[in-house]
Amino acid sequence: MAIHQPGRRLLHGITLKFVSDHVSGGGKRNINAGLSLTSMIDFLIVVVVFLLMTFNSSGETPLAKNVRLPKAENSVDMVDAPLVGVVGGQILVDGATTGNTREIEESKQVKRIEELFNVLKAKRELWKQTRPGKEFPGVVVLQIDRDVPAVVVKSVFQTSAFAGYPNVSFMVDGAPKTKG
Amino acid sequence: MAGVDVGGGGKGGKKALDSEINMVPFIDLLMVTIAFLLITAVWSHMSRINANAQVPGPPRPDEEITQVEPEPSLHVEMRDQNNFKLIWKTGSTVVIEKSVPRKAEETRDATGKVTGSKYPELANEVEEQWKATGKHRDASDRKFDQAVLHTDNDTKFSDIVAVIDAIYKTHRPFNSGKPGDLVPAFNVTFAVN
Repeated sequence: MAIHQPGRRLLHGITLKFVSDHVSGGGKRNINAGLSLTSMIDFLIVVVVFLLMTFNSSGETPLAKNVRLPKAENSVDMVDAPLVGVVGGQILVDGATTGNTREIEESKQVKRIEELFNVLKAKRELWKQTRPGKEFPGVVVLQIDRDVPAVVVKSVFQTSAFAGYPNVSFMVDGAPKTKG
Repeated sequence: MAGVDVGGGGKGGKKALDSEINMVPFIDLLMVTIAFLLITAVWSHMSRINANAQVPGPPRPDEEITQVEPEPSLHVEMRDQNNFKLIWKTGSTVVIEKSVPRKAEETRDATGKVTGSKYPELANEVEEQWKATGKHRDASDRKFDQAVLHTDNDTKFSDIVAVIDAIYKTHRPFNSGKPGDLVPAFNVTFAVN
């Protein structure tokens, strides 16, 4: 392998002298700084490797606007399941508004939410029609703001279970595990 | 044009074995890869915790009904503002009952803002009680001990998650094929009543 003397690689092939002088500073301090290609390529490769290692092909779970999730250390990875969001008094199923929580919050009693029940039941029927013979997993993920009171959580939880989704998961912001 | 020579040229009229790598498209490729990976990167880590519901399923006439011996299950009550109650019940019979002080440790984000709370004392007590009373501790056991969370209607969702997180902190070995695999010792059920 040939060994070359180190030195400038850029701007050394300019044949016109006045152009060469101008771009290289013309005896004054050079206004163009040299760039070490080796260091730059090393840096780029390290960045590419880091980004490839952190790359996730499963995509991002949509997070409703203004929802602040609670943190949990002992959590598991997300699954592909209907997403029921409760934020700002609204109930959303996969992003579509499906009722509100005002009545539950005012009465402070656990209630079945009819609109949510009907939407989830329709989703369940659709799943069964599109996958005949397969057992329905009954998983639903609840994306609930951390300040929502338990009466709303219970109502959404109960409605989901009665609509055929007994395997309920709460979406959380995964936190690193602490020792001890 | 910038290039990297990776060896000497051919001698005696033979074709050169070594060739130059053209740096410009190489750097372009790296830049495009970085741009793509940065755009598609997911920086927030969303995950989930299970809290199954115990609701009766539809009748299954094809399955034979077998009488199952009731097993002890841990009931965690968080209705009191000062204490948690840990009650081991077999069916409706109370086996053990103990109170744990409800001392929350606040969790903060990078800016110092409170993002939630943790209950390390509760987690330690649950682990101690499971070691003493839990039935499914062997790695070959496919079943799990059951924990039921009871709360009042005013508790904040972040507190519910903090308590479920504390219950899930107790881990046990499990033969899943991976050596040294640990899984949560409890299945948590969220009681709606």
